[in-house]
Amino acid sequence: MSGSELALEVKDLRTTLFLREGRVDVVRGVSFQLKQGETLALVGESGCGKTMTALSIMRLLPDPPARVTHGQVLLAGADVSRMPEHQMRSLRGETVSIVFQEPLTSLDPVFTIGDQIVEAITSHRKLQRGEAREMAVEILKEVQIPSPGQRLKDYPHQLSGGMRQRVMIAMALVLDPKVLIADEPTTALDVTIQAQILDLIRTEQEQRRLAVLLITHNLPVVSQVADRVAVMYAGEVVEEAPASEIFSDPRHPYTQGLLSSIPSAAGDHKHLYTIPGRVPDPRVLPPACLFAPRCPYALRRCWQEHPELEATVSAGHADTSTQPDRHLLRCWNPQPFTALQAIEPQEVDRRIATSE
Amino acid sequence: MASYLARRTGYMLLILTISSVVIFYALRTAPGGPSGGGVLNPLSSQEIRQAYDKRMGLDQPVYTQYFIYLGHIVRGDLGTSLANGTPIVELLGTHARNSLVLGLTALLISYVIAIPLGVLAAVKRNTWVDQLAMGGAILGMGIPNFWLALILVYFFSLRLGWLPSAGCCDPPQLILPALVLAAEGTAVTMRMTRSSMLEHLHDDFVRALRAKGLPEWQVILRHVLRNALIPVISLTGLRLGWLVGYALIVETIFRWPGVGYLLVDSVLRRDYPVAQVFSLLLIVFVLLANWFADIAYGLANPRIRVA
Repeated sequence: MSGSELALEVKDLRTTLFLREGRVDVVRGVSFQLKQGETLALVGESGCGKTMTALSIMRLLPDPPARVTHGQVLLAGADVSRMPEHQMRSLRGETVSIVFQEPLTSLDPVFTIGDQIVEAITSHRKLQRGEAREMAVEILKEVQIPSPGQRLKDYPHQLSGGMRQRVMIAMALVLDPKVLIADEPTTALDVTIQAQILDLIRTEQEQRRLAVLLITHNLPVVSQVADRVAVMYAGEVVEEAPASEIFSDPRHPYTQGLLSSIPSAAGDHKHLYTIPGRVPDPRVLPPACLFAPRCPYALRRCWQEHPELEATVSAGHADTSTQPDRHLLRCWNPQPFTALQAIEPQEVDRRIATSE
Repeated sequence: MASYLARRTGYMLLILTISSVVIFYALRTAPGGPSGGGVLNPLSSQEIRQAYDKRMGLDQPVYTQYFIYLGHIVRGDLGTSLANGTPIVELLGTHARNSLVLGLTALLISYVIAIPLGVLAAVKRNTWVDQLAMGGAILGMGIPNFWLALILVYFFSLRLGWLPSAGCCDPPQLILPALVLAAEGTAVTMRMTRSSMLEHLHDDFVRALRAKGLPEWQVILRHVLRNALIPVISLTGLRLGWLVGYALIVETIFRWPGVGYLLVDSVLRRDYPVAQVFSLLLIVFVLLANWFADIAYGLANPRIRVA
């Protein structure tokens, strides 16, 4: 793997909220790499720091109270963490774009779709309005919006949710960025529309060799599009591996818990598995494994020492040292997935396929 | 749209009819009258007064007078001033123009001050700029305008001698009354701009606009402000109504020959025809202003326009 292929690299990122009660680190030591044409899924439950990570990369954290306090973000090789704001602004939309969860509130209600796309173009390129309009029509056509010329004159509230999200994706891609961050892009949409939007993201990614950082809590979505998966828990990455391995051979008890709690249409279990307990309070983190209180396999050591994220030997993969399909794990006592609930990998696939 | 217009016009006619009755009776129940010292010499004899009342039809029952009056109005005859015989149509022209000049200047001054300061106060929230602007707004809302008028005249006309204390219709004479008329509206508009800006500064779309790489000034002035102005625009309708009320006081203090000045004067002189026409004129103005505000609100807010 050559360095130039890396579209996005996050190194030991720490993001801190400065609150009246004191400092709270909501993202702790997060590192990952994203190559051109690759999709990395950042998975975890609400409040685990996924969106904070994304906003840290874009340097769009609400400041106050949030600020990046440690680490580096490299966008196509350039360190954005110490860049002056005007330079960072020129990268937003041009090199890195983001699609947010709720497409209605992410569009300005008093401007037409056309105005908003044209503005995204003209704020980066010296173009005539007419030329920018043509680009807008082209990109709307590309994201399969019918009669794009007409839609340019529409206001956001006149479009359906799926159409709005297509517009958001069009706006994010119109300047052909290298990295696309998709923050829960399908969460606010109907199930039938979700698949279309994922298809669209995947198609665009293949055509443009986009690096996609997909942020989601929805594992079935991950299985459809991701190459690699990083599972986050309480502000930390607890497991990172190729997507196929995450589903076939999850090592971290939290990942196993997430997979076990996917509802199954087959309905051979009366009760859905739930991970017991709650996410720890980020203001008072113990020097221990943060998942220990909820973990079925916790040892004495888990309560006393904080585990690091380290490469692990996974079943069926002899060579784990090579970067692309390395399996990283933050756990003192990994157990085979079968220990939690006896289901085959095919069974997981089947459940994923049949769940929403 | 046609039914909307018809409904709106019918509603206006109804309000006008009711208020014309109220105004007509209210004027005549006030003590005195054109012959009781308002128009005639207060020392004139009983016979002269009775003769005057008979000639003007003021000796008839009030409802008879009203229907005679209504007949004239419907035929487009507004009548003449009892005080000096000037046709009211003529008075209407000059005084309405003077009032419009004063009112529009006041509105212009207030928006030019209030909107930039409101935006600045919101963007620089909790800094000295914000506190100064909001402190000024509290003063603007709290100071009664007649008192403000006296203070301004005292300083700028009497002490400094920069501006004339009253009169019409040169630009220097316009400045003080326009400032006084603008004061409260400026304060309210500024506060509303600020709070509305603060509300929209944290909307999701603002983050999305920044994510597109828009310069910050464009995010604030083009997008946040445009959204924040929607309630400010609907406030304009209300402000036009206040302006009418304040015009009575301000025009009287500065002897600005507008509608308000003439109305106060005609009521004091019991110049019934003038008082009736001009008070109805103010009512029409307020009704039209509210209607205009509805339309402007729709233009500013596409979500209303289409629905």
